[in-house]
Amino acid sequence: MISAELKKVILDELNLDDFDIKDETIAPEVPGWDSLNHINIIIAVEKHFNVKFKGYNVLRLKNVGDLQKLIDSSKSN
Amino acid sequence: MGNFNLSEAATLWQRWELNAVKNPHRDAIIHWAAGEEPYRWTFKSLLETAKKFSIRIKEAGIKQGDVCAIIMHHNPMFYPLYLGISRIGALPAILAYPNPRLHPDKFRQGIEGMSQRSGLDWILTEKSIEPLIKPLIEKPESTIKSIFFPLEWDLNSLVDEKTNSEIEANALAIKPTDAVLLQHSSGTTGLQKPVVLSHNAILNHVANLSDALKLNESDKVVSWLPLYHDMGLIGAFHVPIAFGIPTIQIDPFEWVLAPILMLEAITKEKATISWIPNFAFNIFADKIDEEELEGISLKSLRLLINCSEPVRADSNKKFVNRFSKYGLNPNALAASYGMAEITLAATITEPDKLIAEMTVDRNKLANGIVEIADDNSVSRICVSSGKLINGCEIRIVDEKRNNIKDNLVGEIAVKSISMFDGYRNYPEKTAEVISDSWYFTGDYGFKHQDDFFIIGRKKDIIIVAGKNIYPEDIEDTVNQAEGVIPGRVIAFGEEDQLMGTEQVSVVAETKSETESEKNLVRMNMLKSAMAIDINIHKIYLVPPRWLIKSSAGKPSRKANKERLLNGLDPQVWSR
Repeated sequence: MISAELKKVILDELNLDDFDIKDETIAPEVPGWDSLNHINIIIAVEKHFNVKFKGYNVLRLKNVGDLQKLIDSSKSN
Repeated sequence: MGNFNLSEAATLWQRWELNAVKNPHRDAIIHWAAGEEPYRWTFKSLLETAKKFSIRIKEAGIKQGDVCAIIMHHNPMFYPLYLGISRIGALPAILAYPNPRLHPDKFRQGIEGMSQRSGLDWILTEKSIEPLIKPLIEKPESTIKSIFFPLEWDLNSLVDEKTNSEIEANALAIKPTDAVLLQHSSGTTGLQKPVVLSHNAILNHVANLSDALKLNESDKVVSWLPLYHDMGLIGAFHVPIAFGIPTIQIDPFEWVLAPILMLEAITKEKATISWIPNFAFNIFADKIDEEELEGISLKSLRLLINCSEPVRADSNKKFVNRFSKYGLNPNALAASYGMAEITLAATITEPDKLIAEMTVDRNKLANGIVEIADDNSVSRICVSSGKLINGCEIRIVDEKRNNIKDNLVGEIAVKSISMFDGYRNYPEKTAEVISDSWYFTGDYGFKHQDDFFIIGRKKDIIIVAGKNIYPEDIEDTVNQAEGVIPGRVIAFGEEDQLMGTEQVSVVAETKSETESEKNLVRMNMLKSAMAIDINIHKIYLVPPRWLIKSSAGKPSRKANKERLLNGLDPQVWSR
């Protein structure tokens, strides 16, 4: 399940107060989360959680749940 | 003329065949996919498969002159399919694959608008979007005859020699003046303008552009640009395969998620030329982690051409600063100005020369006069889009379309040997922009010595990351958002210096007064624009009767944008 922390990072980056973001949420469902903003969200997530993602791993993300898993695995490595 | 002999082939198909004979085993297309070995088409294998496709296309009932819309993901079979359509004399028209954000009705509306305007005859696509498209074909007034799934076609069965011979004979009868492709300008709800180009237009452009680029047999193009965009289709696809050099094709969806892909392709394949819009310079310079750049070498790059949106000095500078240590030659940066209506380019920087820049007085420039800035001026750096390429002429004109002198700002009019023949089935739109064989671009600029500088545009079009967006499309959809006063909406472009591009801003009148009500209206507006795959970057809400009307009685984009950006009106709420 995605953490409240991740949800907040995403919402802050998109300048939204609230939006229902779940594991299965995909970027095009969220206002403002287009391809240009995607890279900014990834950078904000990396900075906040102090992790670094490889470009290929970012490519494989299908939804927000996958992003949460990538953060978790990056933190444990 | 340089290395491209126009007299050798009269049509694109003949040119491709010639390349397959001259250099059968040379790479033609290197289809790049993240984490996989690239799929390599040689000129010979590409043409052989294209022939097989052309037989299936003919068997499907597609005829010479028919328009075939191709809606497909990044797929190695796309290229021979495209060539196969051309072999039978039909016109490929590449359309963007629907983004999941785009509402199905809006997608269909866009296709319908295009089909009514340009008379799309067939749709060649993937099975997965059949349910999305099928309702269109079933409509009684539809021009679309059928939908095909070429990726499902069996190409291994024996080639029918009789059909092949018929196609071959017909291919030889295709005239250089015949149409070869159709491109659609941007727009989502019927504002698209269909540009038809002939074999002559493209082949002449290949000759003139290859000359300007000093193209040679050791060049290799790399591109992540979508092929429905003129810069991707002509600059990174038609020019290399007609000239006979390889092009590396990267998936635009993958590139935007992992921009490092293009740098890896340059490094591994020793690519020499690429076309990218300005914002991509910012992405490369600011958004890739240093660790990911390990092993990257840009030594082979001799031309990285900034095109499709205003060229920004800051973007070029930060790119050079970041990548000089990775072997980038600062002289590799170039700029170009062009449009689909003249096939692609009108001007380009001379290879291996620094891009010219001028620091001018901003206030005088706003009044149409180019004057070098002094210590007392508010300055603006203007970046040159280069010098004229052969076969092109440019005039800078005043409002009455009379020529004006160098160093004065006016509208740019272009004439080219590679000019389109007008917008298909759209004579009134053609008449608006063409006069006496000159295409009036709606862009503003000036000439200084032999360099052309583009500084703005007459049209209200918004260019986000190289993509042209019509404000009308956004206004029409946002008008329907709950809380917005219908007809009281303006969309305009606002500079985003960090991203090196324009972003969409929208101002709307509303009766909402509280903070929470306004946030709700904002969310409704964001969602309404999402349905047409537009991201609104900033929203301004104003009270009823705030927007300034133009003489036509409609809210004025220019006047309201200026009022918003200049003033600190406490009635304006923005987020």
